[in-house]
Amino acid sequence: MAYPYVSDHEIRIVSKYFGDPKQRRVETYVERGGYKALEKAFEMGPQGVIDEVKGSGLRGRGGAGFPTGVKWSFMPKDSGKPHYLLCNADESEPGTFKDRELMRWDPHQLIEGCLIGAYAIGAGHVYIYCRGEFFEVNQILARAVEDAYAKGYIGKDIFGSGNDLEVTVHQGAGAYICGEETGLMNSLEGKRGQPRVKPPFPAAVGAFGMPSTINNVETLAAVPHIVENGGDWYRGFGTEKSPGTKMFCVSGHVNKPGNYELPLGFPLMKLIEDVCGGMRDGRALKAVIPGGSSVPIIDAEESARCNLDYEGCIEVGTMLGCASVIVMDETADIVKQVRRMVDFYAHESCGQCTPCREGSSWTAQILKRIEEGRGTEEDLDTLMEMTQQMVGTTICVLSDSVAAPVQSSIEKFRDEYLALIRRGERVGAA
Amino acid sequence: MSDAPFRNPGWAGNTGEFDLTEEQVRGDDFVGERPKDGGHPSGAGALPYMLAEKEPEAELFEGEYQERFEKILTRYPTKQASLLPTLGLAQELRGYLSPETMDRCAELLDLSPAYVRGVATFYTMYNKRPVGRHLVQVCTNISCNLAGADEVVDAFLRYTDTELGETSEDGNFTVIEAECLAACGFPTCVQINSRYYENVTPAEVPKLCEHLKAEGE
Ligand SMILES: Cc1cc2nc3c(=O)[nH]c(=O)nc-3n(C[C@H](O)[C@H](O)[C@H](O)COP(=O)(O)O)c2cc1C
Ligand code: SF4
Ligand code: FES
Repeated sequence: MAYPYVSDHEIRIVSKYFGDPKQRRVETYVERGGYKALEKAFEMGPQGVIDEVKGSGLRGRGGAGFPTGVKWSFMPKDSGKPHYLLCNADESEPGTFKDRELMRWDPHQLIEGCLIGAYAIGAGHVYIYCRGEFFEVNQILARAVEDAYAKGYIGKDIFGSGNDLEVTVHQGAGAYICGEETGLMNSLEGKRGQPRVKPPFPAAVGAFGMPSTINNVETLAAVPHIVENGGDWYRGFGTEKSPGTKMFCVSGHVNKPGNYELPLGFPLMKLIEDVCGGMRDGRALKAVIPGGSSVPIIDAEESARCNLDYEGCIEVGTMLGCASVIVMDETADIVKQVRRMVDFYAHESCGQCTPCREGSSWTAQILKRIEEGRGTEEDLDTLMEMTQQMVGTTICVLSDSVAAPVQSSIEKFRDEYLALIRRGERVGAA
Repeated sequence: MSDAPFRNPGWAGNTGEFDLTEEQVRGDDFVGERPKDGGHPSGAGALPYMLAEKEPEAELFEGEYQERFEKILTRYPTKQASLLPTLGLAQELRGYLSPETMDRCAELLDLSPAYVRGVATFYTMYNKRPVGRHLVQVCTNISCNLAGADEVVDAFLRYTDTELGETSEDGNFTVIEAECLAACGFPTCVQINSRYYENVTPAEVPKLCEHLKAEGE
């Protein structure tokens, strides 16, 4: 039983039970060894857990790749205030669809990871901020949390250890920006989900003004396995700087799209050819976006050299992001797809910063003009200059995300832009 | 259930290569219907708020809904933090957030009406106007777009004889475009009320719409 596709190349740790509906039940989860890691974590003590996770080299799977154990160690030790762990389950980066599967197939794995994380950072309450559109997932989570309360894995004096932990499932209401960590905190507090200026950082002033840590679903799902088997075991997968396994969400023009759990450092072409059954209809590869819509596009030649880990992607001028691999064949219309991505950012900009608010909609308008054959060559220079001004000038990096697809596509697929511009000139002359 | 055999074009397993049923994939057998009173307080805020049947005049809140509202309040250190789940609860009942509905939520949470409107209008899932019994949201973002999502939108508009955002004459459908729904591997993904339909192609749209009309929710 598997769902949807599986490959022999996979090392299934967090996705082991995808396709097995029984795994949702707390009884099955426990029968298969679940909640043992939580018990072990209580024996190790908070610092022991942080050290083990540090030692594993686990890096945040929400996009930035920041080492998780290090992030946890930023939390104050004796603040005397309530601490919060926030689980970022707002998955909405175009091309990304792993957290949804992780939550709907194995909700207790995530809950156990949340409980261990909360214990490590001294948090008494975990909020799982789950994307609003995920009605089914929200209910699966709610039921799983309820079952875990009933069995005593959440609540007061868990395992007689004297530790009290609460978990609440919080349903979002539709806004990509609430995936940004401080936007999520504002949204959780009942405000518009607008990112906050940092510093202060969440470990000092986070949700409800209290020390908080925020982690992605996939990051927390890996934690029980690391606590159970040790950091060294986890380091046995992946590369030295990017240890472990990662969910790769493959979409676009391949024969077998879907989620695959692979060791970091896996070659991109091997993913497309051997894991995903090759290109659909045997067509030629034109471009790949390896990390979701916020990272630069790479062409076929760069794809051939790309290994899928944090460093490997940087080497070919892009980023791993959340490993959302969008594959485009020779029939893909690059200008249209870039315009569509920029439309997304223009729609999702929270509006606080002028470069982002104005820049994203201007960029979208110019791209539309080019797509419709009314553009000029100077438009390309304008796009490059304007998007450059959107990098590093705003509160959060949504603005930078506009520059990535625009600049990289103009550099690598200038011919496609020029063809549209020249076609327009011909139409105009006739 | 109508007798017509209907192969739901709506989940990623319908390619014939997997041995799971749709119910197993969705988790219907596991979750079933969550109780209206919200069940355990930890999950009381996580229930569907896009139902086909709506009662625009329903009282905020009574009976089981009042219980659920009170459970939500217990989960946050501030009253303000209950705002999003409360608006969701109101929308589940009434189908959309009218100015009066927002004002009532403001009153319940000791917030100013202007503040609540400012928050409600920030989020796309709160309907600020009435919508059809089935709110059809077609993802046209990149992965779905590469697979022809624009044609799926056209097929819905043609079937329902509407423009984007308009409600069909019979009150059954409102079709809008959506941003990535995080189901990109099986395009085109369409969210209809609380449910995802994956692998939707233009050819299947009429059948899907007939099915929705016949089944209600
Ligand atoms: C605009 C924007 C949207 C984001 N969306 C998400 C998201 O949907 N899910 C997520 O886990 N992280 C998202 N992030 C990253 C988070 O801010 C944060 O880095 C992450 O949740 C930290 O968790 P990690 O350390 O486990 O990766 C987003 C960031 C930005 C700037
Ligand atoms: S960069 Fe854009 S999304 Fe981020 S805070 Fe500024 S306006 Fe909002
Ligand atoms: S692009 Fe359509 S669901 Fe992600």
